[in-house]
Amino acid sequence: MRKLLTTTAALAALATMAQAQDGYFAGKSIDVIVPFGTGGATFVSAKFLEPYFEKHLPGNPEINVIDRPGGGSILGANWFEQNAKADGTTILFTTSSTANPFVLGQEGVEYRLSEYRVAYSHPFGAVAYVSPSTGVTDAAGIKESSNPLIYGGIAAAASDLPGLLSFEVLGLDVKSVLGFTGRGPVRLAFEQGEVNIDYQFTPVWLTQVVPSVEEGNAVPLWTGGAMEGGVLKARDPVAPELPSVYEVYETMNGQPPSGIEWDAFQGIASVTYAYGLTGYLHPDAPQEALDAFAAAVEAINADPEFQAASQDVTGGARLSAGPETEAAIKAALSPSDEVRTYLRTLLSEKYGVNF
Amino acid sequence: MIDNALIALDALFDPMRLAALFAGMLVGMVFGMLPGLGGVAAVSILLPFIYYLDDYSGLAMLLGAVSVVYTSDTITSVLLGAPGSPASAPTAIEGHALAKQGQAARALGVGFLASMVGGLVGSLVLFFAIPIAGPIVLMLSTPELFMLALVGLFFASSMIGKDLAKGLAAAALGVLLGVVGPAQAAADFRFTFGQVYLLDGFSLTIVALGLFGVAEVISMLAQGGGISHQRMEVSQWGDGFRDFWRHRWLVLRASLIGVLGGFVPAVGASASTWVAYGHAIRSTKDKSKFGKGEIRGIAASEGANNATVISDLVPTLLFSVPGGPAAAIFLGALFSFGYYPGPRMVTQNPDLMFLIVWSVALTSIVGAALCFAITPMLARLTRIPFAIIAAPLVLVMVIGAYQATSTIGDIFMLFMLGALGWLMKHGGWPRAPALVGFVLSGPMEQYFWLTNQIHGWSWLTRPGVLVIASIIVIPLLISGVRKLRQWQSNEAVTEPEDTDTAEECNRSVALMLAALAATLFLYALWETFTFNPASRLMPLLAIAPGVPLTLWLVFRGVREFKPDLARDAGELTILAVLLAYAVALWAIGLTIPTLALLCWMLLARAQMRLWTAALYGAVVFAAIWFLFDVLRGDPPVGALIPLS
Repeated sequence: MRKLLTTTAALAALATMAQAQDGYFAGKSIDVIVPFGTGGATFVSAKFLEPYFEKHLPGNPEINVIDRPGGGSILGANWFEQNAKADGTTILFTTSSTANPFVLGQEGVEYRLSEYRVAYSHPFGAVAYVSPSTGVTDAAGIKESSNPLIYGGIAAAASDLPGLLSFEVLGLDVKSVLGFTGRGPVRLAFEQGEVNIDYQFTPVWLTQVVPSVEEGNAVPLWTGGAMEGGVLKARDPVAPELPSVYEVYETMNGQPPSGIEWDAFQGIASVTYAYGLTGYLHPDAPQEALDAFAAAVEAINADPEFQAASQDVTGGARLSAGPETEAAIKAALSPSDEVRTYLRTLLSEKYGVNF
Repeated sequence: MIDNALIALDALFDPMRLAALFAGMLVGMVFGMLPGLGGVAAVSILLPFIYYLDDYSGLAMLLGAVSVVYTSDTITSVLLGAPGSPASAPTAIEGHALAKQGQAARALGVGFLASMVGGLVGSLVLFFAIPIAGPIVLMLSTPELFMLALVGLFFASSMIGKDLAKGLAAAALGVLLGVVGPAQAAADFRFTFGQVYLLDGFSLTIVALGLFGVAEVISMLAQGGGISHQRMEVSQWGDGFRDFWRHRWLVLRASLIGVLGGFVPAVGASASTWVAYGHAIRSTKDKSKFGKGEIRGIAASEGANNATVISDLVPTLLFSVPGGPAAAIFLGALFSFGYYPGPRMVTQNPDLMFLIVWSVALTSIVGAALCFAITPMLARLTRIPFAIIAAPLVLVMVIGAYQATSTIGDIFMLFMLGALGWLMKHGGWPRAPALVGFVLSGPMEQYFWLTNQIHGWSWLTRPGVLVIASIIVIPLLISGVRKLRQWQSNEAVTEPEDTDTAEECNRSVALMLAALAATLFLYALWETFTFNPASRLMPLLAIAPGVPLTLWLVFRGVREFKPDLARDAGELTILAVLLAYAVALWAIGLTIPTLALLCWMLLARAQMRLWTAALYGAVVFAAIWFLFDVLRGDPPVGALIPLS
């Protein structure tokens, strides 16, 4: 029986190889442009995915991950706008740090992100937690904090935006201290007791915060949530024991969230969390290339090697691709005029952002 | 613990791992020597290769590169006067001055030994990371970090020099350069002139290379001949060893300063190196030799910079917060091998922790030894006409600068700051305070803002703050008491006799620079009023003294004016050629302007024979393309004629 299985596996492997050799990307090489520095979370994720795409894309193309940091990712994205090849062999792999300036219409943005095609996307969940010194024991009790809540962040218009918007949705009175150089130093400030409420993304949550929670030095609150039927209400598989922001609102107010605050949060949070790391292609990329990526994503998700590795790194998160993913990302990238006005007003009045 | 240490040592002595460690070390040595390319470039180049190795070998390779860069950069700084990496700018000042006096061996010997000690102190700190270093990092909250920045500023104040107005104006100019880009406090982008390039502010590498490297190259090209007019003996290391031993405590103190600098997240080796250099000046009685070749300056800065890169690994390994840019890449590599740094990793994988300690310690020693071995060969380079070395040197600096964002802006900035550095050099403005102002303005603003936001003013009474403040207050009190006693005993203050033999500054250049700086400050003053109040504080700290100082300097410049611009006409021509080269790179891409520059340098300046020049030029050109290829893959493409 075992022999039969191995033979079948070998045959299957041969079949995929044969299929792969004359696939769309045969003999090509793909450049993955990461608009952040080497060693950053986005670069590491791109390197993590690289071997799986090389293995599963038809034609087994060679993949090069290239960092192009600068301008808070704007320089790298502008470079992509000017230099991307239309055949799908240049990918812009980036986060909401590129999406938010585009959505808000900031100065210096030359890239047309909402016109790009979406090759694949990887969730990048975030978990909120507080210090036990606040006396808060669960999400519902967040308003009964015994100390004023202090949140540390980098900049309002960058990846801190969904976190700040979640405070608006929940109606929390949080003092935001912006100006840290990264989320790492914020974590250090939390450990030192300088800030007492924080959000961290999946890898840091799993490796840094979970141990703190076990030692009783941090109290987990909620996650940003995951998409379900076009609404950001499901629980994040990274921490399924925690409610989503949507659920927390429901518990607090007895009704589902709605209104401009929620629309703004959902739009920004979905490109930050549910589609946190997205690979974009040139607007004229052929459908064949997009189909190839969609098929590769399916194969990668089914690859036991990937499943085992992702369990350690991202809590078992899966890639997504295809028309549904693309539609959701494009919807978030072109918000209604009300949402855009709300965001711009909030940012300029509360956080002093100039447009 | 000892068990784990021995197991790790045994693991490291696997031939494959040792080979990886030393391969990394060789790459690190080469990149340390190339000005503008340092640990970050070395580690980025090695990154793709480590995935072919097992985890311990791959990490050993990166560590080999990281821990030797600040040893080998001493060679470039001393022999060429262009900082091998931004953090060795003080070594370039003092060491190159010594090299010109024929004392290169002494400068290099002290530099290598101090680097080695810095590396070993860093390893020792890493060894005790869990029981000692970790708690110290946790004690350093934002108020303490702000105080540390103030201490840095206090030490740096000794670099101002004799001409108080010019020194202070240079420092203010440095701070002004440092605040370009995103404000820490509120969402303002300051002085960006709508250029996306400036959104991140200036890169430290480019500022250090421009102010020191480019200006130095210009002067040496104009002088002609070799770097040293005297024969450079670098076989006699005895003096170096004796000097090192005489200043061993200074080296040790500097290493500890470096270690503290490493604990502060995201502050690189530059800041702590300058602080250590400032400490060397303060603790030296006869300060007259600083800037003209003081061995203590080298001992302090080389001890500090190597200690910093290694203790950068403490916050990286204990808290997943990279202490510096090279540590950030190392952190990424740890992630990709499935190690997630944090207190847990350190207790779960003690072998890995000790493997890291042994790797950096071993590389520090072997790296220094290797530097001693290769230097006599490299020193011969200093006898050949400088124009021959200048061609590859300028091109390597261009590549180094281009690592920042890979846009043409990097190259423009390099040569524009080079022009500024040249003006400062000839206008009699000290460049060290400018670089220190640049390095410290970011952390000072950030930590002041965070501190005041989080703690109000109550932070002033924190015990950590008071302890650090005593570093400033106690020396001030001691020197105050000493002055008082001298005054009481009516003792004449015996200032060391001024033995200033340096050539007088060029009056026309001084006036030009003062006018330029005054214009910059006045414009900055005007733009500052459009910022959020919180973003104004730091620029105003530079502008408030900057405006009156530069206006005074303009006034003084007009009064003392002499039409002596022609004296430096030769250097001005070279500066103009380099600026034209940058413009041509932008317009028609890399190939043609680079070939033209090579022709001009080799044929016109170095007066090489045609066929030798052609052969040498071809080798240099090929090497440059190779470097572009391994580092990035695409050299600048012309905007007018799309050639590359």
